[in-house]
Amino acid sequence: MTSAGGARTVLDLARAEASLLVRSLLVLAGLLASGAVVWVLFGSVQPLWWNAAWQIGFGQLILGLVVLAAAQLAAGRARREGMADLYTSFPVTAGTRTVAHLASLAGAAPASLLLTGAAAAVVQARGAIGTPAITVLASGLVLVIASGAAGIAIGTRFSHPLAGVLGALALFITATTSHLVSGAAIWLVPWEWNQDQLSGLPGPLAGYPPAGAHLLELAGLAVLAGTVALAVTAGHVRARGALATAGIVALAVTCLAGALQLRPIPTAGLDHLVTETASLASVQHCTTANDIRYCLYPEFGRDLPSLEEPVNGVLARLPARPSHPLRVQQVLTLDLTDLTYGHSKDQISQWRAQLRNARASALTDTAIYLPVGSWPAGGSQLTDANFAVALTTAEWGVRIPAQATGNPASEQFLPCVPLNQAREAIAIWLAILATRPSAGELQAGLSSGGHYLGDEVSNTFVPTWTYPGMTAGYLASSGFAPQPTAAGYLLAAAMVSLPQQKVSHVLASAWGRWLNWHTTDAQLAAALGIPMPSISTLVPPPPPGQTTGHGPGTGPQSPQSPLCTS
Amino acid sequence: MPWGTLLAGCLAGTVYLAIFAHVAKNSGWLVGQGNVRLAFLPAAAAMSFVVRVPFRPLTQAVPVPSWVTPAGHLLLAAPILAATCWAQLCIMTQTIPAQTLGHPPAVYPLLAQLTGWCAVAIAAAACVARSRYADLGGAIGAPVSFAVITLASFAPITSRILVEPAATAHTVTIAWYAIAAAATALTCAAMRDQWQRYSSDVRSLLPRDRA
Repeated sequence: MTSAGGARTVLDLARAEASLLVRSLLVLAGLLASGAVVWVLFGSVQPLWWNAAWQIGFGQLILGLVVLAAAQLAAGRARREGMADLYTSFPVTAGTRTVAHLASLAGAAPASLLLTGAAAAVVQARGAIGTPAITVLASGLVLVIASGAAGIAIGTRFSHPLAGVLGALALFITATTSHLVSGAAIWLVPWEWNQDQLSGLPGPLAGYPPAGAHLLELAGLAVLAGTVALAVTAGHVRARGALATAGIVALAVTCLAGALQLRPIPTAGLDHLVTETASLASVQHCTTANDIRYCLYPEFGRDLPSLEEPVNGVLARLPARPSHPLRVQQVLTLDLTDLTYGHSKDQISQWRAQLRNARASALTDTAIYLPVGSWPAGGSQLTDANFAVALTTAEWGVRIPAQATGNPASEQFLPCVPLNQAREAIAIWLAILATRPSAGELQAGLSSGGHYLGDEVSNTFVPTWTYPGMTAGYLASSGFAPQPTAAGYLLAAAMVSLPQQKVSHVLASAWGRWLNWHTTDAQLAAALGIPMPSISTLVPPPPPGQTTGHGPGTGPQSPQSPLCTS
Repeated sequence: MPWGTLLAGCLAGTVYLAIFAHVAKNSGWLVGQGNVRLAFLPAAAAMSFVVRVPFRPLTQAVPVPSWVTPAGHLLLAAPILAATCWAQLCIMTQTIPAQTLGHPPAVYPLLAQLTGWCAVAIAAAACVARSRYADLGGAIGAPVSFAVITLASFAPITSRILVEPAATAHTVTIAWYAIAAAATALTCAAMRDQWQRYSSDVRSLLPRDRA
């Protein structure tokens, strides 16, 4: 057979195999599964391109698993069906067929590109921040091709379908066990998905992930797998020699790419990141609106209106503002440990000291801290986040302090409880009017899984209220924020049903009195002319022999939450 | 009996778990039930190849019922599967330090879950074996069972009764054994079925007078 004829045969065979791959039910199912995985990974938060592109890559890994299995089935078809002897009698050699199989992996490209395109469209539609990194997206495509090449390498030697399944599982296991390694080693697996800190970055960080080197590694692996597949089927000694050389070169490229990925992140980049974390004023864009200062990272300027709305909603109903100003500010909640591999100890200590000082000064400020990467893209989650911002603003407005006992890192860290304080109900009322969440969602915060939650304050069980978005981590200050009580919410809900003007008049007429932490819910209810909502149905009867109303799951030894005072 | 397939599936997962346990021990991690689940997937995949009978047209022609062969395969595979599960649980428990406070999580929901996985894989393969794709029974059954396992674990509706801690250990156990029972019933029905199913009407392909 002439070389032109051989090339034509390869093209014809490749076209036929690629057509089968494109129409493979397995690949189509994998495409759907990978789309679902990417959707789940995106979650409800506002997408950041430097993170979303890597998440799309994990979807490509799922697609790669099925392409691996499908390619193994295709490459092992002749032997599996007992046709190997018949194929040997054909003029086309096994090596030529393997080349055709490898070329047919182009049939997996449409599915991969479709996944990338659809995911990119979703990311853009949800208001993505930043721009996509083409190298990372291209790495996803190369990963699918490399998986297919591995499938062909397996299929040429092992024709049983279980071999493909095991190969796919082995590839999947590399991704699920990436937590066993740390630092730069996480990039060595085909695609890691849960060890990086991309979601918490305020912008792209050069060298994190090392996209170019990772692309090179995947390309090297693809060539290596292809070489192995050809080596298994090659008949001539000369061809085997050439393939061995190609395999060694591919292995060397893969190792080189691995070494490049293990390099530390450029110091300048990390320096800038630490500055972004510690010296917020020097990097954030701050604007003042309605006497409230909003400080956001440069890429996040578009979030400003969605932050101003709940804050202004509260301010518009506040009879008088506190003397100390309020600041709404984005913060980074990064863990430097996984970023500072390969740097000198002195440098790392210096960065840590910078971060420690910044955190210590931040705790003394009155501010609403928004962790980067946790703000929702829209829908009910955005309403919840708005409510969280509104409630924190209202608590600042009615002077409920952010008091707590214990260490934030320990399990004994307990925020204060504004027990029987009129100002708490006022704060909740202000937040409800500012954001108008659904009544059902507010009511759902009274119980969790059919059980009422509560805190122990002065040896008394106090039913608490979980407000919308409280547990979602939209605010970094949630751990310090006061714990709302069920009684406060019930009174606020009753206040919402009253004419707003009437409530505003009662509040404005004695604002100083309502801010006093000694003023009780009952006094506020009496001033409004409404009965105090009963919470007796929320408190279980005390066990026989006990005089105090301990709640379920709590006891005399339960940790005591402090009372919000001053 | 596809011993090679079954042993390859069982050993692949067990070897992975042993390596993982070794690495985890040095890295300060523990091997949990999640790792055992992952390690059992190859064995479950292998089970979907066990039910296949390569010479079914021949076995249908002999006086012995055709379901005897696949049923025999399953009976022979059961002890291998049990031994694999035991070995993997042993590997898991060896990595738990002796001075650990409190009780480790119960194993019986895990056993129910793994039983359910195998039953689903077998049922999927047995159903495919009754179709025109009989030769790919295992190759289709394995991905189908993986898809079912994934959906059961992550879909909000099913995860409430099939996955801890959203469901209690008792609920998980009962739910997975119920699934296993249903899948076994489906497998029995598929194995007793004499005829392969074709998606298109073959009569339309025949000349009119013969149809």
